[in-house]
Amino acid sequence: MKNNILNFKGTKDGVYLNIKGSDFQFINKELDKRINQYLQFYQGAKFLGVKAQDLTEEQILEINLMLKYKHGFDISLEELHQEFKNVFSKYKVDPIEKEEDSSQGEEGLTKFIHGTLRSGQMIKYDGNIVVVGDVNPGAFLKAKGNIIVLGTLRGVAHAGLNGNTKSIVAAYNLLPTQLRIGDIIVRAPDEDVARYKVPEVAKIHNGEVIIEPYLPNK
Amino acid sequence: MDNEKLGTAIVITSGKGGVGKTTTSANIGTGLAMMGKSVVVLDADIGLRNLDVVMGLENRIVYDLVDVVEKNCRLKQGLIRDKRFEKLYLLPAAQTKDKSAVKPEQMLELVGELKKEFDYIIIDSPAGIEQGFQYSIAGADQALIVTTPEISAVRDADRVIGLLEAKGVYNPKLIINRIRPEMVKKGDMMNMEDISDILAIDLLGVVPDDEEIVISTNKGEPAVIEGKSLAGKAYMNITKRIMGEEIELLNLDSNNESTFNKIIKLLFGK
Repeated sequence: MKNNILNFKGTKDGVYLNIKGSDFQFINKELDKRINQYLQFYQGAKFLGVKAQDLTEEQILEINLMLKYKHGFDISLEELHQEFKNVFSKYKVDPIEKEEDSSQGEEGLTKFIHGTLRSGQMIKYDGNIVVVGDVNPGAFLKAKGNIIVLGTLRGVAHAGLNGNTKSIVAAYNLLPTQLRIGDIIVRAPDEDVARYKVPEVAKIHNGEVIIEPYLPNK
Repeated sequence: MDNEKLGTAIVITSGKGGVGKTTTSANIGTGLAMMGKSVVVLDADIGLRNLDVVMGLENRIVYDLVDVVEKNCRLKQGLIRDKRFEKLYLLPAAQTKDKSAVKPEQMLELVGELKKEFDYIIIDSPAGIEQGFQYSIAGADQALIVTTPEISAVRDADRVIGLLEAKGVYNPKLIINRIRPEMVKKGDMMNMEDISDILAIDLLGVVPDDEEIVISTNKGEPAVIEGKSLAGKAYMNITKRIMGEEIELLNLDSNNESTFNKIIKLLFGK
């Protein structure tokens, strides 16, 4: 009986762990005991996963976590991630989706542009955009997240495309034709304004776009 | 607004590039607004727009011609009010698209809409005779041909006049741009008569080659506004002729005289 609780089953693709019974504490102890046997016997074989009819998804997830982090099994993070999702979706609390909704922290991936963006060119990206070069008048940057230009920004930049008002636009030399953050659109005044040649950051403060010099020691 | 009103759509075209279509459009549009008319200047040069820059309105663009014809926005949203004249509006071209984005039928409909609201619609056509030219002239009632005193520009103008006639736009008027009186005098440049002879259409005006145009273009302020430069005056006269006034051609030599007079004044304190 005891020996039938944990069963490593080899197939031509790899090895399964078959678990019978529902006494989680007991299964845990057995696992600790028998794991070394397994490791000796099946060394190098691909681990395909855990099968357990009588355990809950949470318990399977816990076993997977133990196998990976306690016993050093080769279980990919994607698999674990997927299991997390399965488990948490039952409670309607998806930790990953949740973070994206709150429009802070998660801002997606970043696209890097190397070189000068010229008139008529448009870059639209679901995450952040970093331009290692200049953005000339008539060029267009549209990002769901932030926009950083490591050169002169003379074109139009739209950060926070989906209305994310926490996005920023920063440039080594910020001289945009027009700036848009979230759904706010601003432009430079028609009169010439005094400028200091320092990197600047544009962001929304109290519903208005403000531009402040970027001071590293601030 | 008065819905009974039906404005005039004027296309500014040339065939050849770089002869001054955009400068002419900006100056005539502004000139008409200065004379109290309600005006839209429409940049039809999709992908290579400039009219917004020449008029100093680039930083106000949110929607453009393509957005309007594709109905991504309302017509009113696409129109940018000039910063100096209340009755002057710009409909900018799209920059990230190309000429295939607009079809002649769409332009016809758009110009029809605009004519209900404005006295004049000035259409700045792109160079060339392809699709951009075709949709630019689609809604036009009149055409102004811009040429420079060079044989290549005159040839292209001739070709365009023929194309306009084929499309049912008759009696285009001619604007000769960038003439240099001293070169004409020496016989180094085609004169007005030479050009008129070849093209055989009515001459609406002659605009001298003027440094002020470079300055005003870079400032984003059409030369008619200040009106002191010879080119600015020439454009104002053209504007008035469009409105039906009869005005003599500008004496282009007056520039030299006035400079001379200025020197005299300086020297003799007169």
